[in-house]
Amino acid sequence: MRRKEEQRENMSKAKEKSVRKRSGEEEQEEEIFSFSSKQPAEEEEEGGEGGGRRGGRRICPTARTACSPAWRILGVTVRRRRRRREEEEEGDVKSGDEEETAQQGAPSVLKEQEEEGGEKEDEYENDTSDEEDIRNTVGNVPMEWYRDFPHLGYDLDGRKIYKPIRSQDELDHFLDKMENPDYWRTVHDKQTGSDITLSEEQVALVRRLQSGRFGDVDFNEYQPTVEYFSRDVMLHPVTNRPADKRSFIPSLIEKEKVSKLVHAIKMGWIKPRRVEDDSRGRYYDLWASEDSSILARHKMHLPAPKIPLPGHQESYNPPPEFLFNEEERALWEQQDAADRKLPFVPRKFSSLRSVPAFPRFVHERFERCLDLYLCPRQRKMRVNVDPEDLIPKLPKPRDLQPFPTTQSLVYRGHSGLIRSISVSPTGQWLASGSDDGSVRFWEVCSSRCLKTVQVGGAVRSVTWNPNTAVCLLAVALDSRVLLLSPSLADRQVVSASELLLSDKEGAEPVQGAESLVTWSEAEGEELNEGIRLKIQHPKAVHQVAWHAKGDYLASVMPDHSSHLQVLIHQVSRRRSQNPFRRNKGLVQRVSFHPLRPYFFVATQRSVRIYNLLKQEMTKKLQANAKWISSMAVHPGGDHVICGSYDCRLSWFDLDLSTKPYRMLRHHKKAVRGVAYHRFYPLFASASDDGSVIVCHGTVYNDLLQNPLIVPVKVLRGHAVSQDLGVLDVTFHPSQPWVFSSGADATIRLYT
Amino acid sequence: MSQLQARFFTENKRYAVDDVPFSIPAASEVQDLSHVINTLLQAKNESHKQVEFDFLVRGQFLRTSLSSHMETEGISTEEVVEIEYVERIAAPEPEECMMHDDWISSVDADTEWILTGSYDKTARIWSTEGKAVMTVAGHKDVVKDVAWVKRDGLTSLLLTASLDQTVLLWEWNSERNKVKARHCCRGHTGSVDTIATDPTGSKFCSGSWDKMLKIWSAVPTEEADEVEEPPDRPRKKQKTEQLGLTRTPLMTLSGHSEAVSSVLWCDSEEVCSASWDHTIRIWDTESGTMKTTLTGSKVFNCISYSPLCRRLASGSTDRHIRLWDPRTKDGSLVLLSLTSHTGWVTAVKWAPSHEHQLVSGSLDNLVKLWDTRSCKAPLYDLAAHEDKVFCVDWTESGLMLSGGADNKLYTYRYSACQTDAGA
Repeated sequence: MRRKEEQRENMSKAKEKSVRKRSGEEEQEEEIFSFSSKQPAEEEEEGGEGGGRRGGRRICPTARTACSPAWRILGVTVRRRRRRREEEEEGDVKSGDEEETAQQGAPSVLKEQEEEGGEKEDEYENDTSDEEDIRNTVGNVPMEWYRDFPHLGYDLDGRKIYKPIRSQDELDHFLDKMENPDYWRTVHDKQTGSDITLSEEQVALVRRLQSGRFGDVDFNEYQPTVEYFSRDVMLHPVTNRPADKRSFIPSLIEKEKVSKLVHAIKMGWIKPRRVEDDSRGRYYDLWASEDSSILARHKMHLPAPKIPLPGHQESYNPPPEFLFNEEERALWEQQDAADRKLPFVPRKFSSLRSVPAFPRFVHERFERCLDLYLCPRQRKMRVNVDPEDLIPKLPKPRDLQPFPTTQSLVYRGHSGLIRSISVSPTGQWLASGSDDGSVRFWEVCSSRCLKTVQVGGAVRSVTWNPNTAVCLLAVALDSRVLLLSPSLADRQVVSASELLLSDKEGAEPVQGAESLVTWSEAEGEELNEGIRLKIQHPKAVHQVAWHAKGDYLASVMPDHSSHLQVLIHQVSRRRSQNPFRRNKGLVQRVSFHPLRPYFFVATQRSVRIYNLLKQEMTKKLQANAKWISSMAVHPGGDHVICGSYDCRLSWFDLDLSTKPYRMLRHHKKAVRGVAYHRFYPLFASASDDGSVIVCHGTVYNDLLQNPLIVPVKVLRGHAVSQDLGVLDVTFHPSQPWVFSSGADATIRLYT
Repeated sequence: MSQLQARFFTENKRYAVDDVPFSIPAASEVQDLSHVINTLLQAKNESHKQVEFDFLVRGQFLRTSLSSHMETEGISTEEVVEIEYVERIAAPEPEECMMHDDWISSVDADTEWILTGSYDKTARIWSTEGKAVMTVAGHKDVVKDVAWVKRDGLTSLLLTASLDQTVLLWEWNSERNKVKARHCCRGHTGSVDTIATDPTGSKFCSGSWDKMLKIWSAVPTEEADEVEEPPDRPRKKQKTEQLGLTRTPLMTLSGHSEAVSSVLWCDSEEVCSASWDHTIRIWDTESGTMKTTLTGSKVFNCISYSPLCRRLASGSTDRHIRLWDPRTKDGSLVLLSLTSHTGWVTAVKWAPSHEHQLVSGSLDNLVKLWDTRSCKAPLYDLAAHEDKVFCVDWTESGLMLSGGADNKLYTYRYSACQTDAGA
């Protein structure tokens, strides 16, 4: 923007200069500036000097002058002046030197201008080539073409016009600027290359044009107009011509046209516009066709609302009791329009003829129309459905007894969050593994901690051996799996478990797994604490699971990148093997089928079931969950429940589908643990919201009948600490009791 | 205010009033009625002192106003109401607090001595004044139950049952204060949770986690019974561990499908056992057969039998105390439920000298004194314990005892009013 303004200023300055210079030479020509267009100038030329000038001023059409740009005016006038001067020069010959010097200055100024402006200006913008400059016959070409030549054009005789000798350098310019009082009104003439100083009148003219006014000082642009043709009948009309005859005779051409159209219509070429059938009218009575005798029998019909008949209030002369007193009137005025009993104030007039027009007439009509428009035409029957009826019939929880209802015992003693609990198969003992690095054994009935084994590491998982003939506990911590013999059973059972763990001659390590897993026997202090065997794994073990027979043990080491995620150990032979060759996803949980040789592997999103005998995958269950956290297999083996971190619990019926039979979304936060009861139809889920939800889940032997799942109880009690609530849940093997362990370092028993 | 026709009567001759109907306000409560009786007695006998009475309407204690009580009980207000009155049972007074080193699992007291079993693997003998007399140590694991067998002068026989699957029969001489393990009763394959001596003191019965009941002879002998040992067990090692002579059971009663939690003798030939399999079974020790099964719906923790009212009281994990009639053949008939505890009822004991009263202990830290005539609320709550209560006892001398997980054994003197004894 700024650059453009600068440029414009420069240009106008240059013009000013050139104008000034001319005026300095020929002061007698100041009136000429009022001419702006070519035509009057030509006329003027034709008309001769003195008269032309005068005439030009006289007939200058205001409109044309007003719309012509200042630049154009200047260009034309300057050229005109030049021409005139040359005419004069023809008369009295001036010295050629002066002329030359003036002309030679132009290119350098132009160059300067160009450099300053930066942009190349359109060379044809001011093309008025029809009007030739006589001093310089090069025509209207950009003078910069002559930049490298000593001359700047040719005169009429074809002689070179030389550039004025200019020895002014920047310093001279500056001095000139400083010292010359007329510097500001000096402009450069490109055609002649000379500097021209503008006169006062010329400067004033430029100013006027710049400010958008007319060049002529005396011109009044707001002259009163003279109306020649007006509505007034004039005594002497402008024209007094009589009306033409043709205005009385019908037009032949039109007649021809009409006959053509008529013919076309007759021939059927043109279809006349169909007249809209207005018989019914655009507005009609909606209720006109209603036969009340028929419709009255129709139960759903609603008649149109009728206008109530006018009462005494509407009367022009109502009885005085209908007229408002002061109080009623004040109340009426205060009330909202919708709340008023009457839409108007009853008034009394002495006679009917003094009744004025009703001011609310239009309003009242509008409301009536609105009433009719919005009124219901038919009674709509709505189906009355009690939402309760839509809920599937479920038995009442109290008919599904027994299930745990209240918190009975709290097992306190751990100092860290308890990640895993397990009840011994006899139901007498409870083992818990905690982040405080200890495994504790509790007496279930008294909440007494009878034994504490320091294992030296956060315990991830504890599991009792399900075989009642032995008393063994598997503990997973860090990258180890420990086998503990807590000797909390009969001597025979204890000795049987010792025998199982004792070193066998035949227990030869198998190749392959040997490099991964090291079996070692505990010694010294650990032996006294009950630790018997240590199985060192290559990675952190998250879960251990026993086979129902109690000889095989599976351990889980979740790993994204390796196929070594699950290991199955045989305790009696001290062998380990990796059952899977490929990584099918991050393994979360594993479980053995309670009866048949199947193996359940829960990865993040699905549960795979492998046949251990055939060594193939038999089924893949899609959990519809983002991340499975826990899994439990029904003691019958045909149902699986999975808890997931996205608060869901999915029940799979293996005979039904690979999709969840039922999704339960009762928890508010991530589900951490799920468990089935061994023979009561119960299952429980533990969540980070600090609650354990016990559900009734009857499984029928009849394959046609789907399991009945009823949530029966929400058990609370655990405190939520660090966003962790209940971490594990397990049922008592023989009683309908549920144990839960939480992040608040307690185990709770609900009965 | 409406009036009621009431006739007052009592078993106690000291407080007898005239057998005539009185008209009393229907809204009157225990205080008002008590005042009426006292006024009547004073009118008869100048020297009568104020006595607090409790009133029974058709065998139920009056706890609200008379009219509302009769409304809830469905008694007609048109007829003359028979109101029995008894002297109010005074609150048990706490006497001693005996500190133990560990949780108290069991208590058995007679008129002279108190025997407690503790989780520190010992049993202790205390005098009723609260003096520690003897520590009986010998078990390798927690002592779960204790019992006196009999006393011959200064020598007493006592039993301790333990988690180490044995019952030890001890002989204790109170004069020399020496205790000697006489017999080690082996045979159970689970922790022995309960023992009971028969009324004659010649036999005892034990119940264990291994679902068995075993009956043993309680008579000390100088011979050890032969035990069939598993062949792979080194015999030598076992001998060194043994305390006392080995004894084998006379009889094994099996039938429970879960752990036996409590056992008692109804009379010299009948054993009653409660189990986690939700049943109470009554066994004939002569033939070794089961006579009756009472089926409940919850795990039984404890039972007690009162020969006075011939009722069984059971405490279970659902917070109720239930009364049973053991003579019913078809079982599963609950006569009455006493509900006030908020935790498992771990111990229950009938009053030895009162047919209506019993005491119970619970995991909610409370010991409650009940009267079966007022089943809605207990007579008294004894809130001395700070932790779970595991055992209660009631001696014939009127001493109530309770022990629990706060390592304390509390005794309460219960002044069973003589006047009430025959009621």
